[in-house]
Amino acid sequence: MKKLAIVSLVLLFCVVGLSEQVTLRIIQVFTSPLRTRVLEDIISKFEAQNPGVKIELISPPYETAYQKIYLMVSAEEPLDIVEVGDWSLSALASMGKLLSLEPYLAKSELTKHLVPGVLEAARTYKGTAYLLPNAIYVKTLFYRPDVISKYGIKPPAKTMDELLEHCRQLTKPEIGQFGFDFRGKGYPTAFIDIVMTSFFDDIDPNCMYLKKDGTLIFEDPRALEGLKFYIELFKTAPKDSINWGFDEQVNSFASGITPYLFQDPDTVGLLNEIMKEGTYKTAPLPIGKGGKAYPTIGFAGWGITSYSKHKDLAWKFLEFFNSPEINAYWCRDYGALPVDMRVYEIDPYFKSEIFYGWTAMFEDEVHYQFTKYPLDNEAWSEWNELHETTMQQVLLGKMKPEEALKVWADFWKKAGLGKK
Amino acid sequence: MFNLNNPRFVGWSNYRTIITDPGFPRLLWNTFVWIACSVAFQFLFGLILALLLAKPFPGRGLYMGLVFYPWALSGFAIGLLWSWLLNGQFGIVNDILMRLGLIKVPIGFLSDERFAMFSVILVNVWYGIPFFAIMILAAIQSIPNELYEAAQIDGAGLFRKLFYVTLPYIRPTIYSTILLRIIWVMNFPDIIYGMTRGGPAGATNILSVNMINIVYYRNNFGLASALGMIITAILLVFAIIYLVLLERGEFEL
Repeated sequence: MKKLAIVSLVLLFCVVGLSEQVTLRIIQVFTSPLRTRVLEDIISKFEAQNPGVKIELISPPYETAYQKIYLMVSAEEPLDIVEVGDWSLSALASMGKLLSLEPYLAKSELTKHLVPGVLEAARTYKGTAYLLPNAIYVKTLFYRPDVISKYGIKPPAKTMDELLEHCRQLTKPEIGQFGFDFRGKGYPTAFIDIVMTSFFDDIDPNCMYLKKDGTLIFEDPRALEGLKFYIELFKTAPKDSINWGFDEQVNSFASGITPYLFQDPDTVGLLNEIMKEGTYKTAPLPIGKGGKAYPTIGFAGWGITSYSKHKDLAWKFLEFFNSPEINAYWCRDYGALPVDMRVYEIDPYFKSEIFYGWTAMFEDEVHYQFTKYPLDNEAWSEWNELHETTMQQVLLGKMKPEEALKVWADFWKKAGLGKK
Repeated sequence: MFNLNNPRFVGWSNYRTIITDPGFPRLLWNTFVWIACSVAFQFLFGLILALLLAKPFPGRGLYMGLVFYPWALSGFAIGLLWSWLLNGQFGIVNDILMRLGLIKVPIGFLSDERFAMFSVILVNVWYGIPFFAIMILAAIQSIPNELYEAAQIDGAGLFRKLFYVTLPYIRPTIYSTILLRIIWVMNFPDIIYGMTRGGPAGATNILSVNMINIVYYRNNFGLASALGMIITAILLVFAIIYLVLLERGEFEL
């Protein structure tokens, strides 16, 4: 009888214990095997620290991830934490299904340690933070000293003119050697803009497509000069690259076919897996005729759904994810730049030579002015499709650069950007 | 029709946006070329394959397994696979052609406008041949042998047997398979999406690929739905043709 009572009591505790288990559902966007492995590891660490909490990770293929999120949140399907990238933040936040994180940020210790500009970037939509960035992305120049020096050239190129010159010298189609690692599809916008805006010295720090006087850059003769330069650069890339996205770019760089590449820090994680140490380096983006280069700070992070039943617990996970140790682990393995200042102190990896390109740009305020895309403009997503198609037409000689610039200027004027 | 970011009734506005787009006629033309060439060559090679496989020969089972294999794969995976095979820089196809001395510099199969549509159609033909072959082979095997014997007695040669016995007998299968394939191929963006996403500069963009691009880039479900309705309306024409032929007894032996 006594035994039966004890067993019943244990069973009762088990049932009560089980019923108290809370499940958080997370969906990621930038799914890849390497990234999922790191994410799952972080999740299991959080679960170990929080008994009774179970985290379900949803990992749709990258190509369809946002569509899945839009449909899930619009139907208020069970989802607590949503990954959001900078280019889609406004579109998602405007649906009204993301929770404002401002009350949490106001109370959190974490806020004090964020890299300057990160919180401002998170407030892209209506000045409210609807996500907590967990990594930042800035494009820099990747180069292969081993390949470039074979042709008697001393890398890296410091100016755009030098880059073009180097790339021209490197380009020998008969032996499959080219200079510039070009991107023609899958959001090539950022690559075109880095080159085109480097011909300016008066870009608005708050909008890459505006000059400081508030007018659009596309109507300025310097934009035409920059675009023509970009076409010249394309001539030093394999023609096939008009059909290249991220995968082809990384492959081409790693194989040495195109030893000059503009890319984000998440390329580091991938290159470290497939290339030997020291075979590639990074340098600041080359500066253009305007005497400057205009990088943008990209970011991705976690948001909480406004209808989540476990908002506080979800925030606890976000804080855990951005704690210095976890953020260091996340950014190191995945290859992005940490958002917490403390990470740069505790982890010497982020001071290593491979990060030279970024640290040099961050420290040189004279030549590197960070700017932003008009991500809060409703026309932004449509812009990417138009920009890609028109640019491909320009590169194939089916559209004159002047025509493309007019199409772009008209597009942004219609979208309310710049003085009409 | 609505946009998830700003749900409101917009009437016919999405349809107007699609039809008045300067790129719309090209989209229609590309879709027509894609369907016509894909289905015509799938049928032609499917028929040849079925005729070759109709008579038993050693290793036929293994051979059939190999040629029908593409049909078992996902269209998107095939698209990605061929995008690497035909890559101008790393692609094995260019490598083979260069080693054979047929070309001196790699061909941009997917980046050159002159070759892009040809390349995606070629892959689609390779992918779709087995379906025609399976259907036609099944029909051929149902032809009574007496018909061929009678033709033989009447002195019919190989081609006469083909045109007066085989083809008339399998006509219903040919009609229904072609109509089904037209509908499927029109609704089949997988290969193009995996290989070019409709590029370069819209050279391989067809209606169904454009529908995905509208959702992928613009998240505009309303516009994509409107395009979906236009595709449905076009398919309805083929469905009506199918029903009329069915009614006339064209599918009966």
